[in-house]
Amino acid sequence: MPNPAKPDRSVVTTCAYCGVGCGFKAETREGRLLRMIPWKDSKANHGHSCVKGRFAFDYCLHPDRVRTPLIRRSIDEPWQPVSWDDAFRHTASELRRIQAAHGPKSIGAISSSRCTNEEIFLVQKLARAVFGNNNIDNCARICHSPTQFGLSATLGWGAASQHFDSILRADVIMVVGANPTEGHPVFGSLLKRRVREGARLIVIDPRRTETVESPHCRATVHLPLRPGTNVAVLNSIAHVIVREGLYSEAFVRERCEWEEFEGWTGLVGADRYAPERIGPEAGLEPAAIREAARLYAGGPNSAIYYGLGVTEHSQGSTGVMCLGNLALACGMLGREGVGVNPLRGQGNVQGGSCLGSWPHVFSGYRFVTDPDVRGSFEREWSVELDGEPGLRLPNMFDAALTGHFRGMYIMGEDPVQSDPNQQHVIAALRRMECVVLHDLFLNETSKYAHVFLPGSSSLEKEGTFTSAERRVNRVRKVVEPVAGLQDWEIVVRLMNALGYPVHYDDASQILDEIARLSPAYRGMSFALLDRLGSAQWPCDEQAPEGTEVLHTERFPRANGRGTFMLTEYVATRERTNDRYPLLLTTGRILSQYNVGTQTRRTANSRWHPEDRLDIHPEDARARGIADGDWVALTSRFGSTRLRARLTQRLNPGVVYTTFHHAESKANALTSDLSDWATNCPEYKVTAVDVVRVTEHRDAQHATPARAADEVHA
Amino acid sequence: MTNKAKTWMGVVVAAALSVQPSQAGPLADAPSQTALEPFGSCRVCLVEIEGRRGYPASCTTPVEPGMTVRTDTDKLRSLRRRVLELYLSDFPAGDVPDGWSEFHETLAQCGVSTHPCGDGANHLASPVDLSNPYFLFDPAKCIVCSRCVRACEEIQGTFALTVEGRGFESRIVAGQNQPFFESDCVSCGACVQACPSQALVEKSLFEGEYRRAESS
Amino acid sequence: MTAAGDTSGGTVLDLDRLLGMANQIGDFFAPYPAARRAEGIRNHLRTYWDPRMREALLTYIDNGGAGLQASVIEGARLLRDAAAPAKGYYGPPQA
Repeated sequence: MPNPAKPDRSVVTTCAYCGVGCGFKAETREGRLLRMIPWKDSKANHGHSCVKGRFAFDYCLHPDRVRTPLIRRSIDEPWQPVSWDDAFRHTASELRRIQAAHGPKSIGAISSSRCTNEEIFLVQKLARAVFGNNNIDNCARICHSPTQFGLSATLGWGAASQHFDSILRADVIMVVGANPTEGHPVFGSLLKRRVREGARLIVIDPRRTETVESPHCRATVHLPLRPGTNVAVLNSIAHVIVREGLYSEAFVRERCEWEEFEGWTGLVGADRYAPERIGPEAGLEPAAIREAARLYAGGPNSAIYYGLGVTEHSQGSTGVMCLGNLALACGMLGREGVGVNPLRGQGNVQGGSCLGSWPHVFSGYRFVTDPDVRGSFEREWSVELDGEPGLRLPNMFDAALTGHFRGMYIMGEDPVQSDPNQQHVIAALRRMECVVLHDLFLNETSKYAHVFLPGSSSLEKEGTFTSAERRVNRVRKVVEPVAGLQDWEIVVRLMNALGYPVHYDDASQILDEIARLSPAYRGMSFALLDRLGSAQWPCDEQAPEGTEVLHTERFPRANGRGTFMLTEYVATRERTNDRYPLLLTTGRILSQYNVGTQTRRTANSRWHPEDRLDIHPEDARARGIADGDWVALTSRFGSTRLRARLTQRLNPGVVYTTFHHAESKANALTSDLSDWATNCPEYKVTAVDVVRVTEHRDAQHATPARAADEVHA
Repeated sequence: MTNKAKTWMGVVVAAALSVQPSQAGPLADAPSQTALEPFGSCRVCLVEIEGRRGYPASCTTPVEPGMTVRTDTDKLRSLRRRVLELYLSDFPAGDVPDGWSEFHETLAQCGVSTHPCGDGANHLASPVDLSNPYFLFDPAKCIVCSRCVRACEEIQGTFALTVEGRGFESRIVAGQNQPFFESDCVSCGACVQACPSQALVEKSLFEGEYRRAESS
Repeated sequence: MTAAGDTSGGTVLDLDRLLGMANQIGDFFAPYPAARRAEGIRNHLRTYWDPRMREALLTYIDNGGAGLQASVIEGARLLRDAAAPAKGYYGPPQA
């Protein structure tokens, strides 16, 4: 083979991994996927890529892919392969049987941020129009639901105010609870580039991440706060800005609700938020808090980027409000180089938010309690809709344990591995009579499922994703679906089997329906996206090609003004004590992706064959732990075993692990605490103890059970 | 973005390493977000500018009002061929026919298919780095244009690659002269994307183990 | 109270869990003036809580409401007083 194989076909599509939403050219030869080439004309990545999107696509062709629907009477029985028709018939009859016996609200659905907008919209329709309830949620519940709540409350829209390229105009970049060089690598490269060009960087994160310090990129201020003290620290930054008069009075008077601003200055200006008071509680130097505040307020262009380190707390929504408040007070909104921007973990978290996979809002963030809004959906869908909010994902599990919730359709999620307090989730699933899992692979959750519907990977279907910068990108079919149906077709067939007649010729008609029912998407269509490559919502008559920067003239609130929320710090109930003296926080690394369903089935695992527990050498020494030792990690909720890695990237008292491998069971440890407003779990703070254990454990290296092993052929 | 003030004559020319009279003409687009900074190392995008001596590389020459630029004279064609023949003298001969890289396309455009000086000194003895699971590095096909080094710095921001040595001895190394997999490389693929000669290339394009072509 | 056709009885969520969630909401609205605080809590419960969860909370309050913050009790009671069902709302509580 002197020369490499030359591709004979190229399809532009969107990466299935993180919320940057990189464009790729999927190159094939004779129908076989050869490589993914970053698309130079993509406005998200401009031809750049990371190890996941560029190379880690082999999972699509992995032998573990389930190729036929499976059913079983009970979870103790082996799976039986069945035809699609039988699978739909069986699922429909089970779900209807449960509803007949236990009421219309006894079943629900969850969709995933790995699904396309079209699929997410359809799953919402499945719950609301076909199940006849609002028991519909999605996995953004457990990551960025506080973003929607906190940013909607202050700025009017629960979405990034900027496009990614805006960062190239920023003078000060504040990264809070995020590690973009690992979690959002292509955006991380853009950030580092801007820092090399002279922008100053503030990082608020318990860990000295690669974003804090890497070649030619170093944070001017790093606030390694104790996990759980975000709101205290952000209020303290606000305190300095208020007390030193660093806010932009002109912006607040012109663009915001002045009286709410005064209420806010009263709260954060109180002595209890002085850096000298908060510093000791958060483990920070007061001077560093002051420096961060002055840098941010000084701009002239300061931009905030944040991640799950802000949202996944019992005060997650409050933390997001703090960021909205800060940006409003300093006038850091409405132009390039500024803004408040959530970094979304999965490719379509923003779409999941937009497309109504929530128990309280329809697509377009409009409340189910609003009769006018409801009317517009009822007319389009020809069915009467429930005007009461439904159950949220964690409450569905709660309600399963009390016998009120007995059937669940799960699209593209593995709640046993990804949701908190694993034992609770498993107990809830065991109580259900029909768990329908729609996914690429059997996983931890499928152990408790009764129906498995084999899904299509993002290379096997048509649709759109909405990235973290509100950019709607096209997902295009590169190869045929391995199980024969695109995911949106599976949802439609299930709706039909449940007695709801609906038909779409292709996925474009679903986006057309979305456009009719969601104001910010009014101008979206496959035709527009094919012409422009992508478009950022809002996209409507006023902005026919979409909108890069939000809030330039008014905020999308009734009076057009931004507002301030009172963000009192309330310490989490999850605290250390003698028995659980360390705080565990969790995160992810570059080569792996979330629960690893995809990346663990690629060579990326060579970089990260197992999850490790990062622990400070001081804490390790006190426990007789050496680098590479096996340790038992115990919280009030459960325990697991990992190998330790000694590192100075953490302060003493804090330990850290990733959750990419099912065998690590990080979520056996996490608590049942959640955000006050949205029930987003408090993944980022768990009191634990760590002890060295002598016996070696091979479980981490065991191969997960193959689909074939569990199926009766 | 730093060069937004200047418009380089040959941004497109240099970036694509393809010399066509129409493209070397008036103005190229401003560099995009991830275009490399102009570097002027390959000497293929040479032009003649009326009133100036020599043959400057268009990629590093700022455009000025009133310039008259020639891109396709006999002299330029001959110079380009000489440059490309020199590259070829240190390129595996068996990999020249049927190639489809940017380098191969440039050779075809300039009508170069062999080097007249016969087999010169080469890098065929340098081992192929197969350590990364996704791409390989074959030093024999490397023309040391430094695009990969610059992509790693300017686009990815990792600074994992350097050019070590000078002249014929110069070569691309990862990290502290380590295999790619063991270096600081984060496997983003920017270097593979930037490489014009498929010295850095996706393993998925090959079936079975990678072997160098036989000399033809 | 149970929804029509529901045969399971009992509250839809474990009561302790429900009360914990309610008090967390109370914590957030604590810094607001009394009237707005109650209104904020009411709106939040109305907009985000399944009606069975609200009903369970109100029943518990009718039985004394032990362990609940006073503001939560006040806010929850407004659910019954309101003449018209409020539309959902983001933003600071308006009284």
